[in-house]
Amino acid sequence: MLLGTGAVTIGLPLLEEMLVPNTIAAAPGEVPVRAFNLFFGLGIPAPLQQEGFDGVLEPLQPLSDKLLILRGVDQVRCDRPGINAHYDGATGAFTAEPPDGEAKAGGPSIDQLIRKAHYPQGMPPGMVPTLIGGTFFRRSRVGRYVHSYNEDGTVAAQMQESPRDLFERVFGGVALAGDETDLRRQRLKRSVLDSVVDQYRYYTGSNSPLGSTSRARVADHLERIREYEQRVFALRPRDANSPQLPPPSQVAHGGEADPGGEGIDITLDDLVTEWRLMADLYALAIQTDRVRFGALTFLAAGERIRLKGKYEYAGRTVFEFDDAGQRRSSGSNGCSHEWWHDFDEKKRNEQLRAHAHMKMRELAYFLSRLASEDCREANGKTILENSLITISTESGDGRHNDVKRELSGVFHAITSANGRFKTGQMLDVGAEAIDVYNTMLAAFDVQRQLGPAQRDKRTIDSIRA
Amino acid sequence: VQEGLVAIFDFTQAKTDRFSNLAASELPVSLRIAEPRAANVSAAGLEITGKTMVRSEGVAGRLNEALRQSPGLTLEAWIRPARLDQTGPARIVTISRDSGERNLTLGQDGDKFEVRLRTTRTTSNGIPALASKSQSLRTEWMHVVYTFEVGGPGRIYLNGELNAEQNIGGDLSNWNKDFALGIGNELSADRPWSGGLKLVALYGRPLSAGEVSRNFRAGSSLAPPTPEELLARQLAENGKLFEKRIAPLLSRHCLECHDSVTRNGLLDLSKRTAALEGGESGLAFQPGRSAESLLWTKVESDEMPHDRPPLAAAEKQLLKAWLDGGGVWSLSEIDPAVYAHGEGGGKVFVQRLTVPEYIETVRAILGVDITAEAREILPRDLRADGFNNTAYNLNVDLGHVEAYARLAELIVSRIDLPALARQFTGSRELSDENMTKIIEPLGKRLLRAPLRKDDVIRYCGISTTVAAAGGSFEEATGYIIEAMLQSPRFLYRIEQQSGDGTPRPLGSYELAARLSYIICGAPPDAALLQAADKGELDRAGVEAHARRLLQDPRAVTRSKQFVTEWLQLDRLDSLRPQPEKFPHWQPELAADMRAETLAYFEEIAWKQQRPLHELLNAQLTFTTRRLARHYGLPAEQLPEDNQLVRLDLSQIPARGGLLTHGSLLTVGGDDASMVSRGLFIMHELLRGVVRDPPPCVDTKPVPSRPGLTQRAIAETRIANQNCVGCHAKFEPLAFGLEKFDGLGSFHQRDEFGNELRDDGQILIPGQANPLKYRSSQELMNLLAASERVRETFTWKLTQFALGRPLDAEDVPQVHAIHQKSQAEGGTYSSLLLAIVTSDLVLQTRTEKSEPLAGLQPAE
Repeated sequence: MLLGTGAVTIGLPLLEEMLVPNTIAAAPGEVPVRAFNLFFGLGIPAPLQQEGFDGVLEPLQPLSDKLLILRGVDQVRCDRPGINAHYDGATGAFTAEPPDGEAKAGGPSIDQLIRKAHYPQGMPPGMVPTLIGGTFFRRSRVGRYVHSYNEDGTVAAQMQESPRDLFERVFGGVALAGDETDLRRQRLKRSVLDSVVDQYRYYTGSNSPLGSTSRARVADHLERIREYEQRVFALRPRDANSPQLPPPSQVAHGGEADPGGEGIDITLDDLVTEWRLMADLYALAIQTDRVRFGALTFLAAGERIRLKGKYEYAGRTVFEFDDAGQRRSSGSNGCSHEWWHDFDEKKRNEQLRAHAHMKMRELAYFLSRLASEDCREANGKTILENSLITISTESGDGRHNDVKRELSGVFHAITSANGRFKTGQMLDVGAEAIDVYNTMLAAFDVQRQLGPAQRDKRTIDSIRA
Repeated sequence: VQEGLVAIFDFTQAKTDRFSNLAASELPVSLRIAEPRAANVSAAGLEITGKTMVRSEGVAGRLNEALRQSPGLTLEAWIRPARLDQTGPARIVTISRDSGERNLTLGQDGDKFEVRLRTTRTTSNGIPALASKSQSLRTEWMHVVYTFEVGGPGRIYLNGELNAEQNIGGDLSNWNKDFALGIGNELSADRPWSGGLKLVALYGRPLSAGEVSRNFRAGSSLAPPTPEELLARQLAENGKLFEKRIAPLLSRHCLECHDSVTRNGLLDLSKRTAALEGGESGLAFQPGRSAESLLWTKVESDEMPHDRPPLAAAEKQLLKAWLDGGGVWSLSEIDPAVYAHGEGGGKVFVQRLTVPEYIETVRAILGVDITAEAREILPRDLRADGFNNTAYNLNVDLGHVEAYARLAELIVSRIDLPALARQFTGSRELSDENMTKIIEPLGKRLLRAPLRKDDVIRYCGISTTVAAAGGSFEEATGYIIEAMLQSPRFLYRIEQQSGDGTPRPLGSYELAARLSYIICGAPPDAALLQAADKGELDRAGVEAHARRLLQDPRAVTRSKQFVTEWLQLDRLDSLRPQPEKFPHWQPELAADMRAETLAYFEEIAWKQQRPLHELLNAQLTFTTRRLARHYGLPAEQLPEDNQLVRLDLSQIPARGGLLTHGSLLTVGGDDASMVSRGLFIMHELLRGVVRDPPPCVDTKPVPSRPGLTQRAIAETRIANQNCVGCHAKFEPLAFGLEKFDGLGSFHQRDEFGNELRDDGQILIPGQANPLKYRSSQELMNLLAASERVRETFTWKLTQFALGRPLDAEDVPQVHAIHQKSQAEGGTYSSLLLAIVTSDLVLQTRTEKSEPLAGLQPAE
């Protein structure tokens, strides 16, 4: 059993390799560059953010010295008329650009720019180049739940949407069918793979007939083949005594999870169990240095669930979730999403508050996994402190009928990134996300900036340490 | 175009009987007229009137050497043949020794041009030659260009247009550097030609179609253009600027309030005539004078756009530049749908095989059905911008790599390897020579073009490893196939994309693959590959093969894939209606609805070959007994085993046509939302563009109640000043469907006893006035008769064929496709034929080559 800091403790399968919290490729004593985007759906209305830790942000308080909470961050430039507002804001998170097609962002996400700048030759062997995972249901457009994008705006990796998928993606040994100890067969398979790799190299090289966009696509494919190669031929085969895959997921996935936008019924227990297993695995992937870049999603943009169950925090009952009952409606109208539509500063917004509070508790769960003692690295700091983890969401309000209100004051929080940024504060930055992101990129010595070249740039010095 | 220019002779600028090379390469080649009395030199150019020759002084060694090492070449000439009866061919431009040995010759053979080129695949006389089409040579000034790409095709362009193409292959390494350059005759003086020449140029690379067209437009002289020519060019450029940059800008920022429907301030900027007339404040703009144009002053001061974000500085600059440069309004109409996916000229994504394409490719070539396993282990292709085959979204993760490797192994395990090998060789020897007999033909099928030499060597390497491990001939064959099945050339449709940013004609094999995947979702068959070998895939060749492929049952399967993706039929797999509201729902009905739509499409598009717009109002359908009951149709006569059968609807006017299928009616959700249904029709059938709701409007759906129907709720919305602009455009589209509930059952009253209506009016995008309808049947007839709907079929199928969203640059071609297919009856086949014979398919976009910084994975 791994340590669970929240109310629920999750049993995780153990692999021998998981128990060694060291880095595969970083030199001894060196702390690798890492960047992850952590997304949650529906956002926190700007007035509630102002309440600080007394309000829905309460669950982040135990981690407050490791976070810089940014209020007053605007994403208004991400509005694209004619496109669903959830989708705009969500695709703008970490990219600061409006979407460019149903399954395409308007530009790269910050994690990918940092990755390209710091690992121009690709990731070290055996590492997952980019890991994208999440617990979410609404899926009509990719931008609702994928939050890591290549330089050309296409998704940076395939979404792993169940703990089992994520486990396989990171820790799954790729077994050759038949007898794995058959060295002759391994050698022949190797020669097949060599010829395949050669061809991919040709199509990514200078004589390739492909244009630069396609070459980047094929180069991506090659990077995955390299990873496959490592798993098949270089990593130790799975120990027969090591535990197997996590149990199959108990919640809906695929089309079933989003029946025509009508929403699904789910209990708090089922939701949290699924998410925490996902969060544990993602954290473990970072801890074992299988992953340095990517994105994790807790509930999609415009998520539609009808949640049920008692919600407790710090020994007290915060709320009894029963969306459908409280809204006296089934179908889409009975979903928690509607509490955001109903948001009104002058009212109590009790249900919205409870949902948002619960989301913060779950984000904190993931973050605290990276702040545990076994996540302490060579420089004496934890992975949480050494990495850049950017938390964002889709909206600063929820009443998505006014772009200025919806995409202004979008909640953001970042970690220290090994001393690059201030922590332990709540800042009212009053700036566009694009300037915040570009300042963050500059702190990582990334040359490429987000957004159009010709614009008056603003450096947000207040976030720099 | 200057890049790669090796030699150029401008005969209009010569003063004597000698002509020197004016290219920046400064290769020492100069020409001299051998018999000056048989030629005239003037500002009009060189006129050869009798038997003579203009030849290089000595051999053209440096020129030959420069071209010999090139990745291809281009010969360009502006000429006017004196007569049509010159044959031999009569030599116009030649690099040769005599009538039997040459490097390159452009000649006249009656009413055709002929080009002979020596490569490592042709004879020393440059045979087989490439000829232009019959009657393509005329006795007037013509721009003639021949291009050759090493290992690829030769092409002849006349007056900027591709006229002939043929696969030549090989390279120029066997060129003889001792040949001379001659004009107007063979170097042995026995193939004379008469006519005029203004210019001859040679490039050390194949020019792209775009460059050829640019050179054609630039004219025949290197002399500077006259002021009139300059002005004409400037206005032409200004018109292009309007099409490419200004129209999308107006569409984005202005048309919301200034289109034919809204016309705020009586200004309509969506139509040329209306825009030139201006609005209530007078003329909208003064060509050439931005300072006096309201369009500029209001935008510059941010007074416009009203209540929307102002234009960015760069956009303003563009608008000003266009106005000051002439303000040429070069489009008759601005259609916002055209700009929904950008202005074109963007990124070019390689097309990966989709899951169904992968399955069919394996089945067609290797005879192995891998459907079940591929569907299980290959990650799904996700929908993007309307279809699942959108190239930009067909990316690859570890799951794919692993699946491709596992599938390759599985596929090979199911092949009868000895039988397969016997098709190619009788020997079971594990030698390179014997293995090559399998690798070359099998590789050509699997990788859809002849293999490069290094590919063959690579695959031979696998058999060597197998031999060294004591393996068998069959084992080696199996491993080689495994490698081929994981090759990028198998998994992707590789095309030459790097170029100069302008479109280029596809090579024969690229075209064969495109054609086959577009029509059948399958790899090119033997007949197509043979046609590619022979260079027969010009426009006529493509059409002939397309007609043949349309007879293939896989063309029907492919068309159903198109319909499934376009109408989002996979949505039905996850339909979960609320049991409280629909207690009689059976999950099997969702499958019946899907089957209904697909069978209906097959009936109309294929069996009856009716125009596609009749999909909207044909009075028949396909149903099971179960579905008929659910719909409220007479079900007693239908088979009890719930087989799908055809049902005549001529007596049931309320039902008939795609929009009355449960598969589409369910897009409105359980509450049969008029907004969702209206938007679906708007987007999928009318290509309409609708913006987000304006500020301060509650967008929550309002439920019906006694005395209040969804129709009445919608009308309240439309009556609202803030909503009418958009909702009037799409909600009335769904009025005619109100009698169908969220799951497609038909009622005269809703659950609260409110009487339902099916009359209304529709507004076709781009039109100012709505059309009224009295019943759902009339609505279907209006839609079927609408040109906009017919165009939308063309747009959707063209997008699916190309695997990318269409943008502004595609518009002229899509328009031409539409006209052509409508003239041929507007059927699915006629539309597909028009698509595959259009330049959108015959050519590919290219990207300017750029160094690929930071993307090369570690070695």
